[in-house]
Amino acid sequence: MVGSQQMLKAGARCTLCPAGCGVLRVRVGPDSWRIDPPLEGAAGLCPRGAALGELLTHRDRILWPVCVEAAGRRQIDLSAAAAAIVQAAGERDLLVFLDGNVPCEQIAQAAAWCQAWPKARLCVVIEPADEQLLLGAEASGADYLADDALGDCDGFVLIGDVFAANPCCARGIFQRRAEDSRTPIVAIDPAAGTAAKFATHAVQAGVGQEALALAAVAAAAGVEARLPGAPSPAEMPSATAAGKAIARCGRLGVIVAAEYGRSTAWRQVGYLAGRLAAALGGGLACQTVGANALAALRCGRKLGTVPLVEALADRAAAWVVIGGDLLGMLGWMPQGILAAAAALSNRTTEAAEFVLPLALTAEMGGTVLLGGAREADVEPILPPPAGVPTGAEIVAQLARAAGIRPPQAASGPLATERLSVEPPAESGNGQAPAAPVLLFARQAAQAGCGALTAHGSWQQATQPLPELRISAADAAELAIRHLATVHVSAAGLSVDAKAQVCQLLPDGVVVLPEGTAAARRLAMCQVDEAAGQVVARPVTVEITP
Amino acid sequence: MSEVMEKRVLVDLDRCIECRSCAAACFHSHAGFPAVSFARAGWALLPMICRQCKAAACVDACPAEAMTRDANGVVRRGLFRCIGCGSCARACPFGVIPNELGGTPAGCRSPQGLTGHQVAKCDLCEDRTAGVPDAVPRCVAACPSGALQFADEHEAEKQHLQVVGGRSTADHLFKRR
Repeated sequence: MVGSQQMLKAGARCTLCPAGCGVLRVRVGPDSWRIDPPLEGAAGLCPRGAALGELLTHRDRILWPVCVEAAGRRQIDLSAAAAAIVQAAGERDLLVFLDGNVPCEQIAQAAAWCQAWPKARLCVVIEPADEQLLLGAEASGADYLADDALGDCDGFVLIGDVFAANPCCARGIFQRRAEDSRTPIVAIDPAAGTAAKFATHAVQAGVGQEALALAAVAAAAGVEARLPGAPSPAEMPSATAAGKAIARCGRLGVIVAAEYGRSTAWRQVGYLAGRLAAALGGGLACQTVGANALAALRCGRKLGTVPLVEALADRAAAWVVIGGDLLGMLGWMPQGILAAAAALSNRTTEAAEFVLPLALTAEMGGTVLLGGAREADVEPILPPPAGVPTGAEIVAQLARAAGIRPPQAASGPLATERLSVEPPAESGNGQAPAAPVLLFARQAAQAGCGALTAHGSWQQATQPLPELRISAADAAELAIRHLATVHVSAAGLSVDAKAQVCQLLPDGVVVLPEGTAAARRLAMCQVDEAAGQVVARPVTVEITP
Repeated sequence: MSEVMEKRVLVDLDRCIECRSCAAACFHSHAGFPAVSFARAGWALLPMICRQCKAAACVDACPAEAMTRDANGVVRRGLFRCIGCGSCARACPFGVIPNELGGTPAGCRSPQGLTGHQVAKCDLCEDRTAGVPDAVPRCVAACPSGALQFADEHEAEKQHLQVVGGRSTADHLFKRR
């Protein structure tokens, strides 16, 4: 078996999270592959990355363009599909949503084609919560920390379940703790995820109060962080104790996971976290969905692409979604999508009139800014199947069908130069809804809304239903037994889940994994044009056995 | 006695973040039969990995002689002999041979298995580690937090890791009379 293993170039990596783990591909059949951790120097490979090999050669892979008609699905070739899409758009503008978790060159090429095409506009899509978090982080001026730099920190603030978002970031924290058992680890997580179990100081923050709790911690640490409504030391003693514990740190690592549906104040969280880290000589590690979120944000802004909030508000345009699962990510119901390109079916392709094949990120080489801190030239794990285009190639095909001539793609340090962003307006959160409140938490098993990794056999075998974490008191009150199947419903929509009674979870809060597109519908995203952001708020749910 | 014989997969309970990377790596490399099971202990979800006992109860309990010890001292399950009866899982004093995965019997679940009834058993990834001095089993290589280590008992002592119960390989307690 060792003989069948093939060492890749050093740059072959999983890019589903900022860790960017090295991978080894192993042939397990004539046309099937498996992903293993490298034979030497392996530093982890989470279930998302382990599923990559299987997903690359998945039996349900979309390999041909399909036109959805009343009589059924009709297979067509790519150039004919491009011409039909342009024709179907008619007089409408074409709005192209490109998944941001692709190498920077893909974004630059797609943007160049859209700039040369008067009727087309490009929107580079990253998770809305991540976008707000990163905008705040950019405004803060803080340095970004890669995983291997965390071991040099002498204190940590963890916001959200960062160990689920990027399991590899735990290694540096534990290494530091092993060297000095007094290392303060502050956790702010209303959903009491895995990272909170390792905290020396757990801040008791209520639903949607991450920004307020962080402001209180920063104030107690002697860092100026004004936020209207921030609690006084007497109101949040756990934050005061945490702030005092980190006050003496010379290099503070602040690690944030902006989980879906948690808060409307991720921009404030990013800004405060960056200011706190910078004031205490450290840096910020944003655990985004996908390794390249910060680069995608920077490239998108510098190339003049349309922000997500503006793009989603434009319902008159013809929408073409390339990569990702736009509807699943937003928790939206099926609605008018002209064309969708994906490697494997998802909620967006199911709603589209034209379905196109697409190369996975793991099949593209190019520049990736891992966690915002390390620029890496990533090699593809495998080449895409014959005839399967990349996102930029699909945009090019569409533009050519509209008679556009090849443009010159932008070059230069698009991804590495920090954006010039104004600090966020000082606004706190609204009132928390009535209990039981549904929060979402990231999982090591699923990437994003799970559109891709949900096709993995391990994910399907181990989690046929999403797990609903519920406190012991709430479970007793609702007569819900541990491991029982329950219905979780809100606003007329429901999802089945398996109850997990959790001793650490505060009463009045239940938690579903954010990597379940069906669950996201319970707290679907709203376009808040006035605030300039796309937000998903915590909602009250009904839970029945 | 080879080096592989002496090394075991050890779990540092202070580092496990419940990400299940070990189980996923094992699942994908063993045709859908992960030999890593989990046990909930209070707040924690702990990976349960075979200790490769020197006096292995699973070998004694197997009625089909599917469980055998190979030349390297690794207790293995014979693919074509295992009938999925679960005797080994019940005999294992440490409860590390999984007989359930996701609520269904593991032996009946894999779409890729050669037969419908088999029990998963850790083989220390000998296909990966044989002939590669520094290679470690996949579960250890996949562990992102450093909770899993491939070490002998002396190395564990050097790292101040306390082996639960004072033993890692059951070479005395479960020895045959």
